[in-house]
Amino acid sequence: MPNDPVDVLIIGAGASGAAIAWSLLETRMRILCLEQGGHISDQQFPSRRDDYELARYGDFSCDPNVRQLPQDYPINVTDSCIAPVNWNGVGGSTINFLGHWVRLKPSDFRTRTLDDVGDDWPIDYQTLEPFYNANDANTGVSGLAGNPAYPDYTPPHPPIPVGVLGQTLAKGFNKMGWHWWPSDVAILSRDFEGRSKCVNAGTCDLGCAAGAKGGTNFTYWQMLENSGVELLTHARVREITVDENTGMASGVLYHDAQGQVHEQKAEMVVVACNGIGTPRLLLHSKSKNFPDGLANRSGMVGKNLMFHPLRGVAGVFDEPMKGHEGPMACSILSQEFYESDSARGFVRGYGLHSGRSTTPMTHALGGYGIDAPIPWGEQHREIMDNIYPNLAGLTVVSEDLPEEHNRVTLDANLTDSDGIPAPKVTYRLGENTRRMLEHGEAKAEEVLLAAGAKKILSKSDDKVWWRAGWHQMGTCRMGNDPARSVVNGWGRSHDVKNLFIVDGSIFVTAGAVNPTSTIQALALYIGESIKTNIANLFDD
Amino acid sequence: MASGLSPQERKLLDGILDVLIPRNPARGIPGAGELGVADFLIECAAKDESFDVAIRMILERASGGNIEDVRRIETEASDAFARLLEQSYKGYYSRADIRTKFGVGAHPPHPEGYEVAPESPELMESLTAPVRARGRAYRDTPAGDKNAE
Repeated sequence: MPNDPVDVLIIGAGASGAAIAWSLLETRMRILCLEQGGHISDQQFPSRRDDYELARYGDFSCDPNVRQLPQDYPINVTDSCIAPVNWNGVGGSTINFLGHWVRLKPSDFRTRTLDDVGDDWPIDYQTLEPFYNANDANTGVSGLAGNPAYPDYTPPHPPIPVGVLGQTLAKGFNKMGWHWWPSDVAILSRDFEGRSKCVNAGTCDLGCAAGAKGGTNFTYWQMLENSGVELLTHARVREITVDENTGMASGVLYHDAQGQVHEQKAEMVVVACNGIGTPRLLLHSKSKNFPDGLANRSGMVGKNLMFHPLRGVAGVFDEPMKGHEGPMACSILSQEFYESDSARGFVRGYGLHSGRSTTPMTHALGGYGIDAPIPWGEQHREIMDNIYPNLAGLTVVSEDLPEEHNRVTLDANLTDSDGIPAPKVTYRLGENTRRMLEHGEAKAEEVLLAAGAKKILSKSDDKVWWRAGWHQMGTCRMGNDPARSVVNGWGRSHDVKNLFIVDGSIFVTAGAVNPTSTIQALALYIGESIKTNIANLFDD
Repeated sequence: MASGLSPQERKLLDGILDVLIPRNPARGIPGAGELGVADFLIECAAKDESFDVAIRMILERASGGNIEDVRRIETEASDAFARLLEQSYKGYYSRADIRTKFGVGAHPPHPEGYEVAPESPELMESLTAPVRARGRAYRDTPAGDKNAE
């Protein structure tokens, strides 16, 4: 039975769905957001439990194939060296993300022009800059102004502590004469608008019960729901429907929590399901007009999947580094090797991020995102008693290049609980990325030794972290050429004029930074463009 | 499994656990067997039949629970051993009293967290001074979109 039509239907209540809803609020259009998961209160976060670490390997795992909650869909990862991770629910993956809030750099938008790889974006850094700033204010970003690796901007809140670990590594970077800077974080360093400042719990992935981490459950959604944006939870969209006569999106079919199918009509559909979920939905939305999937006349839906392949290097110091105290992934970062240098044997670059160390169980099981338990027996004792407390690590965060063979397709057999085909990820590490990671490991080792490390721990097994698929980009790329891209420079489908995409799938290149800041800035920019073009929004 | 583990089997399992995670008497850190991690494993086995089978397989192969015995089991029943190892680590380190041995609080991270003093502006100024002194560290970008040319 059809529901009353709405003006704007947003699919997904994560980072980008929340941001564009906020942007469109002032239009007074009727906005409905459908979310396959539900609300989760801060009282339910495992970080309030005594056995909190166990949750990381069960119902609060970042991996949906481990969690297997009713709202999760399985992902076939048998042909990938990296597993996508996420959270399905109000707030999306900002529920369990780590809050590292780094912007793309100007060169990231011009990789074809500057380095002859990837493609140029149809927009640039300057276009996004005001939206980065607005989103930083809404999210409550903490950081230190004056980073010479970016055009000038000032985070709205002072930096969080970098701690013993950050200070130690900073001195190492200074010895090497390399760039570093305190990380910008979507984590409050002081109380702000009813949210408490960070208590340095160190378990950002298990939900921030203080509300310090800027998940959209704490930032946008509370305000949006109070302002009349309708949010329907446990509503899993099955397909986007199309008017056969006009070729425009007419709405969606979705399943409620009991599996019943409902129809929801809409004037405009906005897809915000991330770089895996969005191509999955479009590929499943086949019709007479779009036999290869909705908005897929270019054939680019699902292709050019990019992650940020990661490797870690740790140093053992003489003193305890207190790595479990403070935001889990964020202390300082270096972009010394971010921009291209042909002498290095690869194009583009990487960042060195100082993740803090994890809690004892996670270390014993191999580290966050890694399934490789440390040795048992006397070696175990030595590692846990004398190495673990004194560790400081650097993560090599590499830029992935867009390659069409890395892609999301629909699995022929695997489905979710409503019978919708699961996504299948086909992904292999590119040679450029592999060289970049090797270079990064060597440089991380150098700087750790300069910082005073007595011993280096590196896996050196040519493997990337398995559960490193937080950042899912490129599978519905932006572009000016309809033959080579899915959406235009302001997120509108080339093929379906009332269909917009606002999540990480529209990235043209990946940069080597955590993408959520850019995802939300893009969503605000697309919202602004919709408002600017409202009179002829669906015209050619 | 919970009711089916004989005293001899329990003793054997405790012995294996003490080999996997031995004690450190100098720091008062107990081994996994003496800490009672077997109770955690038994609970896991009650919820997961395949893990129950894995433990059974290991106990059937074990002959004394010493290091050589454990090494042999690791080789002969690698999948079952890997599951036992993983669950043993989980059971051991989920104990609040064990976390404190490694400098981590016994309390849940929220709401208490940890006290970490912010760096003074003067300290940050001096630490970042060399970085700022080297000047701008990003590239100029030309306007326009080369793809469209």
